[in-house]
Amino acid sequence: MTAALQGLYRPTSVEEAVALLSSDESAKPLAGGATLVAMLNARVLEPQALVSLSRIPEIQGISALPDGSLRIGAFTRHAATASSDLLRGAARVVRHAASQIANETVRHMGTIGGSIAFADPGLDYPPALVAAEAVVEVASATGRRKVPARAFFVDWYVTALAPGEIVTAVFLPPPRSGAAGLYVKHARVSGDYATASVAACTFGDGRIGVAVGACGPTPLADDDANGWLSEDAGDAGIARASARLVELADPLDDVRGSADYRRQLIPGLVARAVRSLQAQLKEGR
Amino acid sequence: MSAWRSEVGAVGEAVPALESEEKLSGRAQYIADLYRPGMLHAAIVQSPHAHARIRGYDLSRALALPGVRAIVTGEDLDPAHRMGAFIKDEPALAVEKVRYVGEIVAAVAADTEAIARDAARLVRVDYEVLSPVLDPAQALAPGAPLVHEQSDRYARVFDAGTLGNLCSRTDFREGDPDAAWAQCDVVVEGTYQTQAQAHLSLEPCGALAEVDPSGRVTLWSANQSVFRVQANVCESLGLPMTRLRCMTPRVGAGFGNKMEPHVQPALVKLALKARRCVKLVLSREEDFETVRARHPITIRMRTGAMRDGTLVARETELLLDGGAYGDDSPGVLGYALLMNCGPYNIPHVHAHGRVAYTNKLRFGAFRGFGVPQVTFASEQQIDEIAQRLSLAPMEIRRRNIKRPGDVWFGGQQIHSNELAACLDVIDREMPPAAPDTGGPMTRGRGVAISAHISGLLASGAIVRMLEDGSLLLNTGAVDIGQGSNTALTQICAEALQVPVDRVAIASPDTDGSPYNWGTTASRVTYVTGRSVVAAAGEVEKKLKEHASQMMECDPADLELRPGGAVALKGVPGKAVTFADISGRAHWAVGGPIIGSHTWVFDQKTVDPKRALVLGLPFQQIGIFSFSAVAVEVEVDTVTGKVRVVQACSASDVGRVINPVMASGQVEGAFVQGMGYALIEEMVWDGGRLANPTLMDYKIPTMAEQPESIRVFFVDSHEPTGPFGAKSVGELGINGVAAAIANAIHDATGARLSRLPMTGERVLAALRGAERA
Amino acid sequence: MTAALMNIVLRVNGEDAAVPAGLHDTLLTVLRDRLQLTAAKRGCNQGVCGACTVRIDGTTMRSCLSLAQACEGSEVTTLEGLETSPRLKALQAAFAAHGAFQCGFCTPGLLVSAEALLEDEPRPDEAAVRKALSGHLCRCTGYAKIIQAVQAAARSLSEVGK
Repeated sequence: MTAALQGLYRPTSVEEAVALLSSDESAKPLAGGATLVAMLNARVLEPQALVSLSRIPEIQGISALPDGSLRIGAFTRHAATASSDLLRGAARVVRHAASQIANETVRHMGTIGGSIAFADPGLDYPPALVAAEAVVEVASATGRRKVPARAFFVDWYVTALAPGEIVTAVFLPPPRSGAAGLYVKHARVSGDYATASVAACTFGDGRIGVAVGACGPTPLADDDANGWLSEDAGDAGIARASARLVELADPLDDVRGSADYRRQLIPGLVARAVRSLQAQLKEGR
Repeated sequence: MSAWRSEVGAVGEAVPALESEEKLSGRAQYIADLYRPGMLHAAIVQSPHAHARIRGYDLSRALALPGVRAIVTGEDLDPAHRMGAFIKDEPALAVEKVRYVGEIVAAVAADTEAIARDAARLVRVDYEVLSPVLDPAQALAPGAPLVHEQSDRYARVFDAGTLGNLCSRTDFREGDPDAAWAQCDVVVEGTYQTQAQAHLSLEPCGALAEVDPSGRVTLWSANQSVFRVQANVCESLGLPMTRLRCMTPRVGAGFGNKMEPHVQPALVKLALKARRCVKLVLSREEDFETVRARHPITIRMRTGAMRDGTLVARETELLLDGGAYGDDSPGVLGYALLMNCGPYNIPHVHAHGRVAYTNKLRFGAFRGFGVPQVTFASEQQIDEIAQRLSLAPMEIRRRNIKRPGDVWFGGQQIHSNELAACLDVIDREMPPAAPDTGGPMTRGRGVAISAHISGLLASGAIVRMLEDGSLLLNTGAVDIGQGSNTALTQICAEALQVPVDRVAIASPDTDGSPYNWGTTASRVTYVTGRSVVAAAGEVEKKLKEHASQMMECDPADLELRPGGAVALKGVPGKAVTFADISGRAHWAVGGPIIGSHTWVFDQKTVDPKRALVLGLPFQQIGIFSFSAVAVEVEVDTVTGKVRVVQACSASDVGRVINPVMASGQVEGAFVQGMGYALIEEMVWDGGRLANPTLMDYKIPTMAEQPESIRVFFVDSHEPTGPFGAKSVGELGINGVAAAIANAIHDATGARLSRLPMTGERVLAALRGAERA
Repeated sequence: MTAALMNIVLRVNGEDAAVPAGLHDTLLTVLRDRLQLTAAKRGCNQGVCGACTVRIDGTTMRSCLSLAQACEGSEVTTLEGLETSPRLKALQAAFAAHGAFQCGFCTPGLLVSAEALLEDEPRPDEAAVRKALSGHLCRCTGYAKIIQAVQAAARSLSEVGK
C-alpha cells in the first residue's frame, strides 16, 4: 500500500491523473471547483490531496469527430458549452441546459465532467444528456470505457464511476437536419437548482425523447413514453407519456417543493417542452 | 411647498452617499476587514440540540490544540446576568441549558481562524436532551416543555404577563367590538399563517474586541446601535457601562438583524479571558442559525362592514412564534396590534395577541416589525369585503381611509396625512386592467395601503464648530447603508445654510456620541433629524450672539447667509463668516461653539379615554408615514409560479431629504417584500433549520426584479419633522405581500392565506379554486 | 483537520506576491487575510452571492470557489487592480450618481462583473445586464438603480468614444 498523497497534484495526462487517484482513494479530483471547493469550505470533505484536472489538454474543448458525432471534453466549462455552435440539432438541449446553470460567473468555473460526477439530481446536465442519448467516457487505471448517460446516473449522488475513475468526455450523436433540443427548467429563482425540469429532443428521424430532472434519484426517461410521443406529439400522446413518467417518478420532499408538487408539474412541463420544440422546428430555428 | 429648493444644495437634493468613494473602490472597512497586530480569531460552538440541559464541558482536547488561547462557556458567566430589550431572559451564551439548535454554547480564541474552528469541533459538551417545543400553540398548551423555567421571575420593562411559555401578551380595545358585529351587513373572516424570513444582510454578523492595559474593552461590531451593544454586553456580563466602549465600522446592512446582540457578548467575555484582541465573524450558515429572523405569526382576523362599504368592526388575534428568547418580540406584538387595522377608520376594534417561547432561534426586529404580517391579512380582507359588496378595491379604501384630522387606532393624533394623494397616484399610474383572454399565463393587479411610524425613544445631537468655521456633527446614529450619515449631514447643512461638504459627521462611539437608541423603527431621519435641527439651532443662536457683538447690532437683526456667514438683514456686504466667528470664539470670547440637543420621542400612543390597553410595551411610539403600493403579476398556471411584472408605489414621507436615497429605500423594501411574498421561507426539520445556506434559502435576484418599479413621493409636510420630513426605511415593505396576494386573486380567483405564495401553494389554490 | 501551509507565488494585480497557503485555503482567504486586499468579500463561501468575484486569467470567477494553490501561474485581478480602468471609473461615477449601492457589501464583486460586462458588451441592453449580473445578490437596493447605473455608465463611455 503506497503512502497517502499530500497536497495539490497537476497531472498533464489522463493516465497520470487516474494513476494518482487510484493510488489513494481519499484523494479527490478537482475540476472547476464549483462543487468541490464549496464542499471543502463547508467542511463536508477534508481530503489531504487533490488532483487538479486543469492541465490535461485531452479533456478540454468541444469538437466534431470525423463521423459527425460531437465530443465535449470533461473539463469544458458551462459557459463554453452554453455558447458552442457545434451543439446543434438534438445536442442543443445540452447547450440550453448549460446556459441555465447557476449564474454567469459560476458558469465560467464549473465543468461538465465535474458536474455530472457529482450527480445531484437537481442538476441540469443529467436530464439533458439522457434525452440527447449522450454517452459518457470514463477513464480508470486499466483503460477507458463508455457508459450511456441513462446508465451513468445510478442514484442520489451515485454514478457509474468506480473509485479512482474520472469522466474524460461526453459524446453526442451526429446532429441531423430536422433535429432540435431544448431544456425547460422550473426553479424558485434564477440560478437555483431545478424544482423540476424537462429536457426534450427530436432526432430528425421522427423520434422524440424526453427526460425529467429533479423528480427522482436519476433523470426520468422511459422508452414507452418516448415511443408514444414519437407516434403522437399532440395532446393525447403528451398526456399518455406524461402519465407514465408520473408513475415512474420518485421525487423527494425538499425546500424547493414537495414530492406531490413535482409529480403535478411533470405533465405541464412535458407539454411545454414538447410544444416549444415543435414551435422551434416549425420556425426553422 | 414643492417649489422650495435648498439654496445650499442640501435638503431635498440627491446628494451622493458620503461613503461613495470608499465603497465603490472596495476600500470601505467592514468588521471582517479589520485587522490588528497579534489579534486572535474566534469560532463558536453551537448547540446540536433544540432543548437540553448542559451537564458539563470537556475542553481538554480543544485546549490542547496548539494555537488555542482561551475558551469561554456558560460556566464563565453569572447566571443572574441577563439581557433583553423587553424581558431580561437572555445570557451572553448558553448557561445551564440550550434552547435552540445553533445557540452559542462556547467560543474559542486561537491564533488563526482555522485553528479556532478545528478547536471548536473538539469541545465536548455533555447534554441531557429534553423534549423540545416547536410550535407556539403547543407551547402555550398545558403540559408543554418549558423553554424557560420560572420565566415570570425575569426582570421586565413593562407589564408583559410573562408566565411559562407565554413570553408576553397584549390586548387593545376601542369602541364596543362585541356589540358591533351585529350591526354589520357583511363579515369576512380568515386565518392566515406567515413564515420566518431571514434578513440575509449580505454581511454576516461579526465583532472585534480589543482589551486595553486597564482591562477596558473597545468593541467594534456590525451593529445597528452602538448603545444597544453596550447595554446588552454590559447587562449580560455584569460590567459597568464605563468599562466598555462600542464603535462601528462600515456595516453591511441589518434590516433588524443587527439591532440587538449577536456574538458581541460572548466575544467580549472571550477577549477579557484571553486578555487579547479577538475577532469573530460568523459564516453564512452560522448567521442563519444563530442570530434572529422575522416572526412567524398565526393571524385570526375578521372585519365587518355596512352595505355601503363603511368599515365597522375588526377583531385580530395574533400568535407569534417568539423563539427561545424574548428579544424584540413584545414590541413586535404590540406594534402589529397597533397597526392591525391599517390606515382606516374602524370604530370598533379588539386586537389582542400573545408571544410564545419555542425552541427555535429568537425571532426579532425585521423591517416592518409585524406590519407586513398583519397587512397580508388585513388588506386581503378589505379586498374581500369590496368583492362581496361589488365595490372596486380603491373605492372601498377611499371610503374608509384616515383623513387629515383623524387620529390613529388608540387615539394618537396624526399631523401630516396625504394618504388620499397616494391613492390618487395609484389610480393614475396603475388602474385596474382588463381581464385576460386565456392561455397558461394570466395577469392581474392588486393594491395594498399601509402606514408605518417614524419613532421612537431617544436621540441626541452635538454640533461643534471647528476652528476654521466648518462643522462636526455627532449623533451616534449608525449608518447601515440606508444613508443616514448623508441625510443627517444634509439636515445639518441646511439648518446652518452651508454646503454639505462643510459638515463632517462623526462615527458612532459610545465614548463620544450622544445616546441614540438605534437605527431601527424608521427613526433616524425623524427622531435624530429633529435633534440635529435643534442642536444646529443652538449653534445658530451662539453665532448670532457673537456676530451681534462683532457688528454691534441686535441679534434679531441678523440672519444666516448661504455659504457660512451671519449677515445683517437687508444690508448686502455686512456679514461675518463662520470662520471669523469661530476664531473669535476659540481665542477671545466665549469658547468654541457647541450646540446640543437630547430628547425622547414624546407623543403618547394611547388616549386612555378612547382605548383600553393591557400590556402595551411602549407608551410613545412615533408619527405616521403612509404608503399605497400596486402590483401587476403574471401567474404561470402550469407551475403556479408568480412573477411581478410591474409595481407602483406612492408614499407620504413628508419632505424628502434625499430623493435618490428615499426611492432606493422603497425599491429595496419592495424587492425584499417580494421575496417575503413569493419565495423566502426558513424551514425546520424538527428542531434543526433545514435550509441555512444560500443554496437552499433563496432571495430575489436581478432576474426576478420587476420590469419596472415606479416610485412616487406625494407632496407633504410634517410640521413636527426636520424640514417637514418623516422617515421611509420600512414603509415600503409593509403592503407588498398583500398587494401581490390581491393581484393573484385578480388574476386567478384564488386567495392565499399562507406565506410565501410559492408556486406549489398557488398551484394548489388554483386547483382548489377550479373545484370551488 | 487543517492541512499544512505551502509557500506559493500568486500574481495579483500585476505583481508577484509570495504567500503561505494551505491546500484548502481559497483564493478569497489568501487575498483578504494574507494580502490585505479586502475588496472581495465573504458573503456565503459557496459561490452563490457573488461578493467574492474577481478575475482569474481575465475571466470573472468566484474567489471563494478557487483554491489558492490552484491559482499559481494565473493572473488574478481584484477590484483594487481595476482602479485605472475607464470602464470602472464610469461605473463608479454612475453608481454614485444613481444611488446604486447602499450598504456597499455586494458592490465590489458586482463592479468586477459589471466592468467585465462593459468590456465584452459596450452597450448592453437591460436583458444583457440582468443576465450578466443575476449572480450578484443585493439585499439593499432592489437592483433597479444598479441596472440604471450600468446602462448609464455604458452611455457615458460611448460618449467619450472609449
